[in-house]
Amino acid sequence: MKIGKSAAAAAAVQNAYVPVDADFRLKDNAGEIAIDTNFSAQSFWKDVFIRYFRKISAVIGLVLIILISAMAVVGPGMNTYTYSEQNLSQKNFAPRVKSLEKLGIFNGNESMKTTTGSKIVNQYEAKGLDDVYYWFGSDNFGRDIWTRTWSGARVSLIIAVAAAVIDMVIGMSYGLISGYFGGKVDMIMQRILEIANGIPRLVIVTLLLLVLQPGMVTIIFALMLTEWVGMSRIARAEMLKLKEQEFVLASRTLGASSFFIIFREILPNIIGPIITQVMFSIPTAIFTEAFLSFVGLGIPVPQCSLGSLISEGFNSFTTHPYQIIPPIVVMALLMLSFNLVADGLREALDPKMKEM
Amino acid sequence: MKKYTLKRILTSLFTLLAILLVLFILMQLMPGSPFNDEKLNNDQRMALYAKYGLDQPIVVQFFNYVKNMLKGDFGVSYNISKNTPISQLIQTRLPVSIRIGGFAVSLGAVMGLLLGLVAALKHDTIWDSMATVISVIGVSVPSYVFALALSYTLGFKLGWFPMLYKEKLALSSSVLPSIALSMFTMASIARFTRSEMLEVLGSDYMLLAESKGISGSALIFRHALRNALIPIITVLAPLIVDLMTGSLVVEKIFSIPGVGSLLVNAIQSNDYNVVIALSFIYSAMYIGIMLVVDILYGIIDPRIRLTKEGD
Repeated sequence: MKIGKSAAAAAAVQNAYVPVDADFRLKDNAGEIAIDTNFSAQSFWKDVFIRYFRKISAVIGLVLIILISAMAVVGPGMNTYTYSEQNLSQKNFAPRVKSLEKLGIFNGNESMKTTTGSKIVNQYEAKGLDDVYYWFGSDNFGRDIWTRTWSGARVSLIIAVAAAVIDMVIGMSYGLISGYFGGKVDMIMQRILEIANGIPRLVIVTLLLLVLQPGMVTIIFALMLTEWVGMSRIARAEMLKLKEQEFVLASRTLGASSFFIIFREILPNIIGPIITQVMFSIPTAIFTEAFLSFVGLGIPVPQCSLGSLISEGFNSFTTHPYQIIPPIVVMALLMLSFNLVADGLREALDPKMKEM
Repeated sequence: MKKYTLKRILTSLFTLLAILLVLFILMQLMPGSPFNDEKLNNDQRMALYAKYGLDQPIVVQFFNYVKNMLKGDFGVSYNISKNTPISQLIQTRLPVSIRIGGFAVSLGAVMGLLLGLVAALKHDTIWDSMATVISVIGVSVPSYVFALALSYTLGFKLGWFPMLYKEKLALSSSVLPSIALSMFTMASIARFTRSEMLEVLGSDYMLLAESKGISGSALIFRHALRNALIPIITVLAPLIVDLMTGSLVVEKIFSIPGVGSLLVNAIQSNDYNVVIALSFIYSAMYIGIMLVVDILYGIIDPRIRLTKEGD
């Protein structure tokens, strides 16, 4: 019906109208013409390296990750405070930095809302503490927020990276085995995976932490239980693509065992998508950990993670906003930069892939 | 198609049963018993066990449990509000959560589409880079960071919207949480729209449509967007599911009397019954939405139907 109509319309157009030059324009095929160039042969990884560093956002992400990780290592040791040391006479001090205080910023002033309007309060001067400096301020128990932010970043990073690496090992092996053997093995393994995937991630993590003792190991375990599904999907899809290729057949003809073919022949060929997926699962792990801490199932006190710092800061974020800003900025930057790096890696490792 | 649908429904039911089993086992592992009052002697305790059916074999207990959960009888709350049936607690809270989630999804979808369209149509210009930056930030920064930022600036400093949810001002109270929740949806949809539109705009049938003399908005909306929309619809549904989990902390921040903040409160006050009931509801909703989406995929896009049948 529709086709007949448009055919009739087309016929009508052809009968009634003779095109003139102005109706045509040149097709822009500059992108399709390639001038022959010669390239020297270079290794895959060098190629990846060059493509990665061509992308500005990926480089920014990498620099940020290195900076934050470095601060997570050395930051807590940069002043004399420790993350758990309390000083109840010096609580809720605003940020104050030695060289910046003369410029009118970071001088320990904070405006407090009172019934008569807002006024500027300086706790350091009020208490006569001239040589006390809290670079990011101090919290409700008089603990140094600088030290706590960086040791929190350290805890969050350790949890996220450990969870991502364990996920990679489990998910990758599961997906590779399922894809390689196919048939009944694949069927059963995929049904198990479907069920595991049907349970919302946060539900299982939350329930697990209610049953087990909270702590770093438990959180890593809970994250591990939920994150491997995505990884195993990717590993299986890649395996299905590769397992019919000649080099696998050749290896099998030469008498290689299944184990050898899976982990020594095929694994090196799919390492690209797997690395990308690991980088994407790190921010997810950071987010989940932060969520758990916010709910109160995270790292036990007095240890802290970025999530627990945000949760503590939230309690007084209208009166002392400086307490929540450092952990929230660090966490947002960390998640952003891991995403940027993962995006960059994906494009660098697989340039044919469609731009997302 | 029928066979595939039936298979999907059966898998979903099986998954639901597996979740119930997991929840039941977790319930058994929870520390303490419901009747740990020291004044109870052994006989009284036995009588209580008999009353609640806890003296029966574990398999029978499991089947009773499944029956009750499916009937919507989740037991009573222990701590949050003593002896109130949980189904009653949830009834008043679910509409609030659904309304805010609905706002967030609609806002995110519309804004995301616009952003993606602008980025694709003005490809490789400053607009495109701006849209990309916005969507990268939206995807990677968690919703509760946005929630805190909005609550502090627009809620506390400027006072445009209420910082905390007020029953009387339900509409204006929903604005900030909806915006905070919609950021992720918006960013994902924008990225997806952009890449789909770029692909469609470069296709031969668009060249044909253009050479037939169709121009301007008709070309973009009737021909390009319609084809780009199919995959976008399929990513929207999982996002709705993600929104439910994302809303937990956001509801807490704005103290919205929704399901999410109930779950957070229940976790914090060790009210296991409520946690289990809400986990079950979340899982059931999740499985339900995924099922509908999977079946819809096939109806919307015949290519998917064919490959899935070939599986």
